[in-house]
Amino acid sequence: MAAHTSRAFLSLGRINVPGLGLHKSVSRVTYSTGLSTDSSKATTGSPQKGGKKVLSKKYKREPGDPRTELMPVDQDWTAVYPVATPFIPDAIPLPVRMGCPVKGGAPPEKKGNLELIKIPNFLHLTPAAIKKHCEALKPFCTEWPSALDTDAKCDEHFPIKVETKSYVSAGPSIRNPAARIVHLSVKLSSLNLNDQARKKMLKLVGDRYCKDTDILTITADRCPLKQQNYDYAMYLLTVLYHESWKIEAWEAEKTVADMEEYSWEGSLSQENILDVLVRMKEAGEGEGEEVREQLLGRREVQEYKDSVTRLKNEGENESTMLQYKEAVKKVLKL
Amino acid sequence: MFSIISLLYFYSFYPSLLFALHSPLCCWVTHVRSLHTSGGSQQQEAVAAESEPEPLSIFRTQENDPACQSEKHFGQYYTLPSAHVRTVFPHGLPMRYKQQVKTFNEACMMVRPPALEVISSLKKTDNSKPAVRYLFYGLKGSGKTMTLCHTIHFCYTQGWLVLHVPDAHLWVKNCKELLPSSFNSSRYDQPLQATEWLRNFRITNEPFLSKIKTKQRYVWTKRESTEEGSTLGELVDQGITRVKTSSDVVGAVMKELRLQSGQPESDFRLAVAVDGVNALWGRSTIRKMNNTAVDPEELTLVYNLRKLMKNDWTGGAIITTLAQTGAVYTSKYSYLPKELLGEKGFDSMDPFIPVSVPNYSEKEFESCYLYYMDRHWLQYPHSRTEDGKKELIFLSNRNPSMLERICGFH
Repeated sequence: MAAHTSRAFLSLGRINVPGLGLHKSVSRVTYSTGLSTDSSKATTGSPQKGGKKVLSKKYKREPGDPRTELMPVDQDWTAVYPVATPFIPDAIPLPVRMGCPVKGGAPPEKKGNLELIKIPNFLHLTPAAIKKHCEALKPFCTEWPSALDTDAKCDEHFPIKVETKSYVSAGPSIRNPAARIVHLSVKLSSLNLNDQARKKMLKLVGDRYCKDTDILTITADRCPLKQQNYDYAMYLLTVLYHESWKIEAWEAEKTVADMEEYSWEGSLSQENILDVLVRMKEAGEGEGEEVREQLLGRREVQEYKDSVTRLKNEGENESTMLQYKEAVKKVLKL
Repeated sequence: MFSIISLLYFYSFYPSLLFALHSPLCCWVTHVRSLHTSGGSQQQEAVAAESEPEPLSIFRTQENDPACQSEKHFGQYYTLPSAHVRTVFPHGLPMRYKQQVKTFNEACMMVRPPALEVISSLKKTDNSKPAVRYLFYGLKGSGKTMTLCHTIHFCYTQGWLVLHVPDAHLWVKNCKELLPSSFNSSRYDQPLQATEWLRNFRITNEPFLSKIKTKQRYVWTKRESTEEGSTLGELVDQGITRVKTSSDVVGAVMKELRLQSGQPESDFRLAVAVDGVNALWGRSTIRKMNNTAVDPEELTLVYNLRKLMKNDWTGGAIITTLAQTGAVYTSKYSYLPKELLGEKGFDSMDPFIPVSVPNYSEKEFESCYLYYMDRHWLQYPHSRTEDGKKELIFLSNRNPSMLERICGFH
């Protein structure tokens, strides 16, 4: 009896094999399939289709759930992205979309999105990760001095602030020429300068001084190395300080046009007003110095002096003009 | 009954006033309607007629004498008599205002606070004190020249001698003839400008020309001279006829007036009015033969005027205006005294009284709007509506000259 098992057929009832004789009536139900019987999921379509093919052992593994489905909300993210890694859509539980939106639709989703992979991401530098870095660095650090707990105290003890930048990048060379620039800033009020020295310093320094914050900023970038630039900036500061204290012979020739701000004493305005008042015979009869002194001591003249100084120093606007007008009216007794 | 007759008499001269009147003014409309039936846009108001004649409208005042005007006339227009316009302002009024006077057939000026402030100070001037300097400043087109003209009109009506320089900028630019001065070789004369000024000065101050006598002898050339004791009129005529010496004549006139005013024996008061005083200390566009710029100080006219600007003389006042229009080498947007006068100018004028001339206030704008409506300057019906008025306010920002220009198109 040849068992014909290569064919898949269904037969129910008696098998009447010709030539076997009648006594061989076997009543058995045979249900045989030629293909695999192990999978619970019956692959549809294949009994019909793959009729002629050889049974292949290769099977395709079903892709499972993306890892994001299995991530708890309070997981340790630093373990997911411990180092800088490209964007992995199935490891990042965020519904990010990037790219040009389809017309009437949204930008493409993250799955299979090359744009998200191309750009750098900082998922390895979350605050939790930074905290871990700080904790790791702490054994190598020293304590912040406890006496310097406010900004004011820092300014008082360390008035000079030096600012530099360093650059890290991956490339053929680790050097960056922009790293040599050094900014040195110091408040002029912390330097010991008298009036003349301060004015000279301001003239020497020019644009490097900011009037609103009273900070002098020296930027040094002419040397190739940062340390050289720092030394140069400190040298400049020292030289400026010492030079501004020196008084040269030609500084005595300073004219009214060189003055930084207007001072009323000895100005034309003073001459004019005294002239007018003398002619108006306000001081009574008298000559020379005592008359001038007496006139200068008058309250209206002092107010006039204040208004003119304010007008010249602050520039003119409605309020200064009004003050000047009132002062002139009072002085001329109108 | 008497009131109706007086009103009728008035209306025979100003028939245009019948039309385009606003309801607040219409107390006396009932008189008119009984006699003139073509009322047009007037509204029927059942207001009882007042017994004495009312001011005709809220934007006009009958007080035509600047000395009697006060705060209650603020914003109202007063009429300058045409005789005064011819004598006092042969050269002083702004060009557009002159055209407006010709169009409307009357010269009406608005009474504004800056002018009255200076006028009240002028009333109190003491003849023995040095001359006080007033300076009108303000944005472009805000009415500085008109305010100056108002004060000049006051001075004229009070009998002062008015020395009016209409625009000092004309003396530092566009000079067709520049002669080296015969008196001082480092200075330059401008005969044309000087003669024109002398002519206008003569028109304004006719009565004084025969009264004031010179105190010094002036020698013009080998053969011509003006003796001591001759009248100012002769001096002025000398300058007008002999054009070459006219700049020096101007200088002589200024000197005489400066020395004589405030003296006990002279009975006149001098009002020096200069428009565009910042030209005296600015730059000039005139070039010398070798193409270097002429400093204003080197011009005889400017030099003498600067001497007048100093307050070392008594018995009068100096009223000046800043002007950016027509100024050379100044920014279009500058209007404050120190910017336009410069350091030198400010120090020379110091101490002076700066008087700000702002744009129209709400009340003044209303007044101007009603005046233009009354004169039929606002033609389109849209400008009679509230929206039209708001449009005018928006477009002009209540700037007087802008408003005048825009109303010409509305």
